[in-house]
Amino acid sequence: MSADPRQTGGPAGPAGRGPRGPGWIPTWPATVGLLITLAGAIGFAVSFVRDASTQWLGGFLAAALLGIGLALAYWGRDLAGDEVISGPYPVPHEDAESRAALGDALDQSVQVITRRHFLTKMLVFAGGVFALSQVVLLGALGPRPKNSLRTTSWRAGSRIVTFDGAPVTRDTLAAGTFLVAFPEGHTDSADSQITLLRIGGDPQFKTLAGRESWSPEGYVAYSRVCTHAGCPVAQYEDQAKVLVCPCHQSTFDLMNGAQPVAGPAGRPLPQLPLAIDAQGNLTAQSDFTLPIGPGFWNEG
Amino acid sequence: MSEHRLKKSLGRAFGAAPSPARRAARWLDRNLGGSSILREELRHIFPDSWAFFLGEIALYCFIVLVVTGIFLALFFHASQAIVVYHGSYHPLAGVPMSDAYSSVLDLSWNVRAGLLIRQVHHWAALVFVAALIIHLMRMFFTGAYRRPRRINWLIGLSLLLLVGFNGLMGYSLPDDLLSGTGLRIAFSITESIPFIGPTMASVLFGGEFPTTGIIARIYPVHIFLLPAAIAGLLGAHLGLLWLQRHTEFPGPGRDDRTMVGSPMVPQYALRTTGYFLLLAGVLTAFGALLQINPVWLYGPFRATDATTSAQPDWYMGWLEGAVRMFPGWDIQIGGFLLPAIFWPAVVLPGLIFTPLFLWPWLDWLAMRDNRFVNVLQFPSQRPGRMAVGAGFFTFLTVLLVGGGDDVFAKAFGWSLPVLLRTLQVLVIVLPPLVAALTYAIARRRSVRWLVS
Repeated sequence: MSADPRQTGGPAGPAGRGPRGPGWIPTWPATVGLLITLAGAIGFAVSFVRDASTQWLGGFLAAALLGIGLALAYWGRDLAGDEVISGPYPVPHEDAESRAALGDALDQSVQVITRRHFLTKMLVFAGGVFALSQVVLLGALGPRPKNSLRTTSWRAGSRIVTFDGAPVTRDTLAAGTFLVAFPEGHTDSADSQITLLRIGGDPQFKTLAGRESWSPEGYVAYSRVCTHAGCPVAQYEDQAKVLVCPCHQSTFDLMNGAQPVAGPAGRPLPQLPLAIDAQGNLTAQSDFTLPIGPGFWNEG
Repeated sequence: MSEHRLKKSLGRAFGAAPSPARRAARWLDRNLGGSSILREELRHIFPDSWAFFLGEIALYCFIVLVVTGIFLALFFHASQAIVVYHGSYHPLAGVPMSDAYSSVLDLSWNVRAGLLIRQVHHWAALVFVAALIIHLMRMFFTGAYRRPRRINWLIGLSLLLLVGFNGLMGYSLPDDLLSGTGLRIAFSITESIPFIGPTMASVLFGGEFPTTGIIARIYPVHIFLLPAAIAGLLGAHLGLLWLQRHTEFPGPGRDDRTMVGSPMVPQYALRTTGYFLLLAGVLTAFGALLQINPVWLYGPFRATDATTSAQPDWYMGWLEGAVRMFPGWDIQIGGFLLPAIFWPAVVLPGLIFTPLFLWPWLDWLAMRDNRFVNVLQFPSQRPGRMAVGAGFFTFLTVLLVGGGDDVFAKAFGWSLPVLLRTLQVLVIVLPPLVAALTYAIARRRSVRWLVS
């Protein structure tokens, strides 16, 4: 196993010594490298003390490292002489005798355990049950999701407010404009964010079956959480009347139930049923009727 | 009298004084024993080739990451408690943000050398993964994974996975808008796994996204758990390398039983120390001159904000591309939903890494070759393998381009939907095409190689 690489020595004496003759190798590159390191180290300390910029500080540090690196690499490559040696690779022994002896020894020790058949089985069983029992510790890390992925903070009658909590009334938006909104009291609720837009009487807008009463006075609201990977669908393209997700460019058609028309999303943005109360405030008729955001297994 | 002469005459008077190295070796031998092993290992042979430096780059990046990481850990606060920012970066003055984000701003703007160290840390991570991947390609195309190095191939691949994952954890920590968006996507991907997805996401994140404890949870994973695992695997990787010796390229005097190269001391040790310092110098120059991850421009994470042209670090780009390019095929099964993102984000990485892990054994089955080898092959010696590898990396490259499709579309004035469709076609068509072409070229070269 032990390789002895010292069988064939290379050229003995290191080059670079003695008078200039054939094969003489200059030492000045290493000297220059070490001088750069000296300058760099001093420059680094001075620029740190003087609170100089990142560029100076890092520039000096880099120079110090590069200088000594250059010197050592040159030393190892050129000055030390290209001593080439050879030796054997370690080769695995095909030692049948000792392998058999090892097998016997193992068999004997294993038998001490395995000849107690019942105990061995109990050991495996109890060990397995013990290992499995530790899985419950995962429960400490987070709650079971239960219904939280299906519900948001929207309730029947929730008033719609802007990011700073100002209520949205029937006069807030002109036709063709939009804003980002939340349920009152939940402006930090990530899963409740909506894009509220007023389509006015745009003839292109298609009201889906069963949603005839969801868009009073031309107001429509869609979940702002992308059904692909959950980013806020934050880009509005006025010409095409689409919402685009900045993460993976899923594109949703605002004129047709926020159906995905391009990009990787597979499902439309859920629509929030809207109403207008007696004071003229926009409210929600209920929570979303579909789970918002990216898909999950028991969503169906 | 000069110092040199003084030493000489003193040496004559009292007997030659032993060199410091001699004294150190004698001390070691007295206290630990094993001078015979040391004597042998001083002449440990290292075959010379630029290709063998790739793994060393990765190793040295790890060292730079540990050193810079310790510095950063002294200043980072793993807390999402809301604070109001009053530091030196005026555009964010008075903005409420997490303590974590605020501490990264302080580290970047108020701690001397803080920004430099942070940027060197980030650059080292980017170069680390690049070096690992090129190292892996070198192993693959030269057949270095064959017996007796199959186990070390597995260790190397595991390292790649852990390092990539720890990079992801690392850029999630600053709690800026970009990193929060990455976590949001990670949560969505976890949710998509059949049966266990929603529960698993909740257990990993401590509830439904966005949770207030996720940074505190990622932090020990990033600075302790994964680095410890990486250090352990690196140790095993290098230990096996040391025992089995390095492979070598074919050449005069070299065969599977004989190696030729430089001795560890002094040539190799000098050289590799020099290369380590050169790499550290280059990474420091990057950190000094090339801005990376300017988190103050992104702003603090808020679940209602999003940024355009959001890109992960480059080594996650293939996954980002796959997620962008895979069509929205959500499948309803009875009362259940299999979201489309499950295929590119969960199944595809499995499909990519499983054959990689199995490769040494697949190669053994295909070639019926179980010899104990130490001499490497030239890539074109094995046209089939070269074709498979070229196709494989073409596939990943197209995915990587897809990860930046919006940036490319904007930069070149292309239509994004058209570019997306083009990439969807290319990712299927191009790999077999490149593989076939590679096979043809390698075949001709290998014939020529055999003739000469």
